[in-house]
Amino acid sequence: MAKKIRVLMAKPGLDGHDRGAKVVARALRDAGMEVIYTGLRQSPEDIVEAAIQEDVDAIGLSSLSGAHMALFPEVVKVLKKRGAGDILVVAGGIIPDDDIPKLKKAGIKAVFGPGTPLADIVAFFRSSAK
Amino acid sequence: MKIVEQVLKGDKRAAGKLISMIEDDDAGATEALAAIYPHTGKAHVVGFTGPPGVGKSSLINRLIREFRVRDRKVGVVAVDPTSPFTGGAVLGDRIRMSDTGTDPGVFIRSMATRGHSGGLALATFDAVKVLDALGIDLIFVETVGAGQSEIDIASRAHTTVVVQMPQSGDAVQALKAGILEIGDIYVVNKTDLGGADSMASNLDFMLEERQGWRPPVVQTSALEGKGIKELADAINKHYRYLKGGGGWRRRESDRARKELYESMKRLLAEAYSDETEGVAFEEVVGAIVVRKTDPRSAAKTLLRDLKLPK
Ligand SMILES: Nc1nc2c(ncn2[C@@H]2O[C@H](COP(=O)(O)OP(=O)(O)OP(=O)(O)O)[C@@H](O)[C@H]2O)c(=O)[nH]1
Ligand SMILES: [Mg+2]
Repeated sequence: MAKKIRVLMAKPGLDGHDRGAKVVARALRDAGMEVIYTGLRQSPEDIVEAAIQEDVDAIGLSSLSGAHMALFPEVVKVLKKRGAGDILVVAGGIIPDDDIPKLKKAGIKAVFGPGTPLADIVAFFRSSAK
Repeated sequence: MKIVEQVLKGDKRAAGKLISMIEDDDAGATEALAAIYPHTGKAHVVGFTGPPGVGKSSLINRLIREFRVRDRKVGVVAVDPTSPFTGGAVLGDRIRMSDTGTDPGVFIRSMATRGHSGGLALATFDAVKVLDALGIDLIFVETVGAGQSEIDIASRAHTTVVVQMPQSGDAVQALKAGILEIGDIYVVNKTDLGGADSMASNLDFMLEERQGWRPPVVQTSALEGKGIKELADAINKHYRYLKGGGGWRRRESDRARKELYESMKRLLAEAYSDETEGVAFEEVVGAIVVRKTDPRSAAKTLLRDLKLPK
């Protein structure tokens, strides 16, 4: 059996509902990947713990609440601390342009804004997640 | 193997990776499984089955906390179906099991069926072994109650918990065939919705003692956290019953028998998916079509000359 790409979809912070993340999850599934949802209201530590247990290739973080600058870089930091720095972190949701370079500098591999074509997102996961 | 040593030391990252190796049928998986096998057999394996949305994940979430208070290490393997069209899956059980966060005594793994029929993945019970070797005491296996899966889970777990929700009397009469024979514990969840009492007594009336164990019916509300202690006690009681009366050994034999058959089937399938063997196989198929031989005799000949993969 070929290696399957596994992606953890997480929504740190207190976002209620997030259709964007759901649409992306379905697109990844339709591309043959396994998408795992974490629970709601997860801290960066919780997300990393889940990523390790699920042995995912990538974590997709989505935020609508503007908490991304505080939370997303922390996920990258905790991953490294737990010896799982090889797990890719990408971000989606509503993120101001000014924040994108800062997030990338903090180790977020890609940032997908609301207008990103699904095919681009799928292609990114395919090529980056070994 | 290094990864096996790490798992035996309790390394969660290694355990996560080893489960993936098994799922992907990676080259090292067979050797690793052989190496951990002597370190398994301690954990109590509890299967959960029941219709979609009945509250299995929510109940397991509550039970994790209850058993953590009782100082047991808890693992979960939660299985969801793979899409037959795309090979992908969305695995959502974890959404309801997020109360435990970073508790070092908990390990939850979501798993897609990857084309295996019967609501379980081929790798499900190998993942259970990895968790067992990791030092987990109690392992819950969640499967969607569809088709063959109840029977499958019941023949592999030590204890099978069948979860239902309140229904009218007639619906209880119409419970899926076989469901009354496979459970060691029955749960009527969502008692907060009402109608649970009559559902529970109807169920209780229909259940019979098997080999000295009468399956209890436990009423719970995973939403309100009610009946969770009683369910945990019932699970422990069944464990003591199995250990005390020889039932443990019997279930282990059932499981070993099943896994041995499955391993043999798998080896045979692999032998014939091998390219050169495939050619020989196709030649025989042709011979059967033109009536030079018949399927049963040809099978005998093929098996006699079989070269197993290394
Ligand atoms: N009212 C009520 N709702 C509940 C209870 N337990 C679970 N639920 C709800 O029922 C829905 C399904 O719960 P899950 O725990 O995901 O059920 P499941 O059996 O694991 O579902 P699948 O994995 O999809 O088969 C969720 O919306 C839960 O919040 C309960 O005791 N009472
Ligand atoms: Mg579930």
